[in-house]
Amino acid sequence: MPPDTQSSMPVSAPPAPALPKSGRRPRFVDPAAVLVLVRRGFNEILRVPGASIPGAIAPIIFLVGLTMVFGQATDIPGYGTDSFLAFVLPVALLQSAGFTGGATGVNLGRDIEQGWLDRLLLSPTSRSTILAGLVLSAAARVLIPVPPLLVMAIVLGAPMPSLVGVLIILAVVPIFSAIAATWASVLALKFRSQQASPLIQASILSSILFSTSYAPLELLEPWMRTIAELNPVTYVIEGLRQCFVGEISWTVTWQAFAALGGLGAVFVTLALLGLRRFER
Amino acid sequence: MSHAIVTRGLEKRYPKGGTYAVQGVDLAVDHGEVYGFLGPNGAGKSTMVRLLVTLLRPSAGTAHVAGHDVVKDPAGVRASIGVALQDAAIDPLMTGRELLELQAVLHGLSRRASAPRGALLLERVGLSDAGDKRVGEYSGGMRRRLDLAMALIHEPRVLFLDEPTTGLDPSSRLLLWDEVRRLRDQGTTVFLTTQYLEEADQLADRVGIIAGGQLVAEDTPEALKAQVGHPHVHVVLTNAADRERSLQVASAVGDPRPGVTDHCLDVSVQDGSLELPALVRALDDAGIAVASLDVVRPTLDDVFLQKTGAHLAEEAVA
Amino acid sequence: MITPSVALALRALRLTLRRPQFLIPLFLMPSIFLAVNTGGLSATTRLPGFPETTGFLAFQLAAAMVQSLMLSGLQAGIAVSLEIESGFFDRIVTAPVPRLAIVAGRLMAAAVLGAGQVLFFLIVGVIFGADLAGGVVGALVVVVLGALAGVAFAAIGLAIAFRARQASIVQGLFPFVFAVLYLSSAFFPQELLGPPADTISAFNPLSYIAEGLRAPIAYGMDALPILEGLAMTVAVIVVASLLAVAGLRWRLADAA
Repeated sequence: MPPDTQSSMPVSAPPAPALPKSGRRPRFVDPAAVLVLVRRGFNEILRVPGASIPGAIAPIIFLVGLTMVFGQATDIPGYGTDSFLAFVLPVALLQSAGFTGGATGVNLGRDIEQGWLDRLLLSPTSRSTILAGLVLSAAARVLIPVPPLLVMAIVLGAPMPSLVGVLIILAVVPIFSAIAATWASVLALKFRSQQASPLIQASILSSILFSTSYAPLELLEPWMRTIAELNPVTYVIEGLRQCFVGEISWTVTWQAFAALGGLGAVFVTLALLGLRRFER
Repeated sequence: MSHAIVTRGLEKRYPKGGTYAVQGVDLAVDHGEVYGFLGPNGAGKSTMVRLLVTLLRPSAGTAHVAGHDVVKDPAGVRASIGVALQDAAIDPLMTGRELLELQAVLHGLSRRASAPRGALLLERVGLSDAGDKRVGEYSGGMRRRLDLAMALIHEPRVLFLDEPTTGLDPSSRLLLWDEVRRLRDQGTTVFLTTQYLEEADQLADRVGIIAGGQLVAEDTPEALKAQVGHPHVHVVLTNAADRERSLQVASAVGDPRPGVTDHCLDVSVQDGSLELPALVRALDDAGIAVASLDVVRPTLDDVFLQKTGAHLAEEAVA
Repeated sequence: MITPSVALALRALRLTLRRPQFLIPLFLMPSIFLAVNTGGLSATTRLPGFPETTGFLAFQLAAAMVQSLMLSGLQAGIAVSLEIESGFFDRIVTAPVPRLAIVAGRLMAAAVLGAGQVLFFLIVGVIFGADLAGGVVGALVVVVLGALAGVAFAAIGLAIAFRARQASIVQGLFPFVFAVLYLSSAFFPQELLGPPADTISAFNPLSYIAEGLRAPIAYGMDALPILEGLAMTVAVIVVASLLAVAGLRWRLADAA
C-alpha cells in the first residue's frame, strides 16, 4: 500500500474548464452519462476473475440437462418439433437474460448498502439517466453469454435460425434482460440491500418457467395453462421459440414485443417511483 | 442571496410523524465561510447533511443551499454543491481516474472535457501516480483524497464534508486541513461535520453544536469558549501546607474565590498570559514553592459539556 | 465426543434456522421446479415406457427432495468454508473439542434438517393431491431415508469445503448440483432418459437414492428400490465422511 503522506497537494487551484451552468434542468436521459454507467456495469464481469462463468455455464447446463432428461417429451403430439432442445432453447436464452438482469439488481442492492447510489443521486444527473445506465448495462452484458449458448445449442442439433430469427433473438433477449434488471432494481430499491437477491432471482426464474416453458399450452395441466395464459413472459417465449420451431409469424412477433413493452412500461414507472422515494 | 446555506425550522421525523432526528433547526451559513457542525453520533448531524444535500426530504421547514430550495429545485442544489460523504463509497473495481471522469460526466461535462479535468484533480490531491490503479488497492487516506477530488470536480460553490478525517492518520489529517483552508481562501463555502473538537477549532469560522436533533449553540469557537468561562491558572504547590497562604496570594492578583484542593491551586484570570508574571512574583514574595504552573483555557469540549451535558471526546472514541 | 458433537450440531442448526436467506432457497427453489415440472410435463406419463405411478406429482416429489437435500449439503459446505475464511474455524479447532466432533456435529445437524426437508415436501405433495402409495409407513421410511441422504450430501459438502481454498469455489459448485441431478433418474424414468444420461444414470448413486425415496411415495413398498436406496445412501455416507475427515486432517496439517 503506498504511503499517504509523501505526496502533497499543490497550492494553486487549477481553473475549471467550461462547466455547464448550474441550475440548468438535467436532460431526461443523458447519453454520455448512460455510457459511462454502462461501462462501469461491465466491470462486474470483466474485472472480477471468473465472474462471467456462472452466467454463461448455468443456462448451458440447464439446456443440455433438460434435453437429456425430458427429451422424449416431444414424442407426445403437440410440440410441433421432435427436438426438445429446440423447444426449450428460448427458455435457456431468457434464463440467461433473467440471470444477468437479476444480477444488476443484486449489485444495486450492494451499491445501496455501500453508499454508491447516494453518490449517483447526489449528482445533478436525472434519475432516469441513472436508471437507464443500470438497465442498459444489463442489456449489453447479456450479449456475452448468449453467443456461446446459441453456438452450443446449434452444435447439439438445434436448427439454425434465419436472419430475421437472429434479429428477433438479438432484440428480445437484451430487452428482456433490461426488463429483468428494472424489476430487480424495483426490489433492490424497496429492500435497500442485497438481502433481496433470493427474491429477485426466484421471481425472475418463476416468471420464465410458469409459462409454456416445457410444453405447449394444450399439454399443460389446467392450472398451469391458466397461469401461462396470464403470464406475459409466455408471449416472449413464443416470440423466441418461433425462431427455432415452426415459421416466424408477425402476429407472434408483435405479441412478444407488446408483452415486453407492457412489462417495461410498468417496471420503469415503478423503478422511477422507487428512485424518487429513495430520498425520503 | 446573502447566505450560502439557510434553513428555517428544518425538521426530519422518522418514521413519518415519529421521533425527531432533526427538530426546528435555523441555520445561516455565509458565503465563503467554513462552518463546523459538531455533535456526537446519533445527534442528527448526518441527517442534517443528508437534508441539505437533497438525499432526504424534510418533514417540515425550508432549506436553501446556494440559493436553491432543496425540495423545489433539488437539481439546482446538486449542480452547485460538492459532497464527500462519511463512508466514502467508491467502487473498488474502478481506477481513480475512471471515477473522476465518471463524476465529471455525471455533472454534465462532455466526455472529452472530463479526461483533462480528471487528470487535473488527481494532480491536485496528489494521486497522479495512483490514478490508474484500482481504488480497491488505495489506502484509507488515498480514498478520502479521491473522494474530495470527486466532490470538487465541478468547482462547487458549497462543499459538504461529512466527517472527512474520521479514521485518518494524523499526517493525512493535516493534509486535508490544508486543503480545506485553501478552498476557503478561494471563496468556497465549506460545511464540515466532525466529531473532533480540534478539527472544528482549527478550521471553522463558526461552530454549530447539535444535540438531540436541535441546534444548542452556535458562534465562533472563541466566543463559544468565552461563554463557558475565563481561563485559569493551575498551580501545583510543592508543600500542601502552603495551601491556606496561597489562597490569600491568589486573591491579591484579582480572583476573589480561588479554588484549592490538596496540592493544587486554581486561579481564575481574565486573559491568562497577562496575569501570570504577577502571580509568580506574588507567590515568590510569599515564599511559596511551586512545582508547576499552567494556563488552562476553556476548550470546545467544555462548551460541549456545558451545552449538552456530555463530553464529545468520549463519544468520538466510541 | 458425543456432547461436543451435539453442541456443534445444535449451533449449526440454530445458525441455519436463523438465516432465512439460506433456509428459504432450500425449500423455494425445489418447490418452483416441482410446480413447473408437474404443471408442464404431466403429459409425459402417457409416454410408452413410463412406469405405473400414483401420478406425476408423486413421481416428482423425490426429485424435489434430493434437489433440496443436495442444496443443503452444498450450503453446509459453504457454511464451513466461510467459517474457515472468517477464522471461526481456527477457534473451534484450538478449543478442547475432539476434531471428529466438527464433522460429526455438522452431520447430525444435516440429519435433522434433512428429515425436515423431506417432511416438508411430503406435506406439500399431500396438500396438492399426491397419493402416497406406501401410506404412513411409507412416509416414515421416506423421512428416515431423507435424514440419511441429508447426512450423505452434507458429508460431500464438508469434504469439498475442507479442501477448497475459498468459499467462493464452493459457492461456484451450484450449477454442478444440477449437472449431477440431470445425469440421474431423479427427474425422469431411467428408461426414458436420452444419451448419455441413460447410461451414466445407472452408475450415478443419486439415481438409487432418488428411487429409494420415490418408491414408497409413487410405486408402493417394494423392498428392492428401498433397500438399494438405503445401501447406496449408507455407502455415500461412509465414503464421503472418510473423505471429509481426511480433508479436515489435511486442513489442520496445512494450518499448522
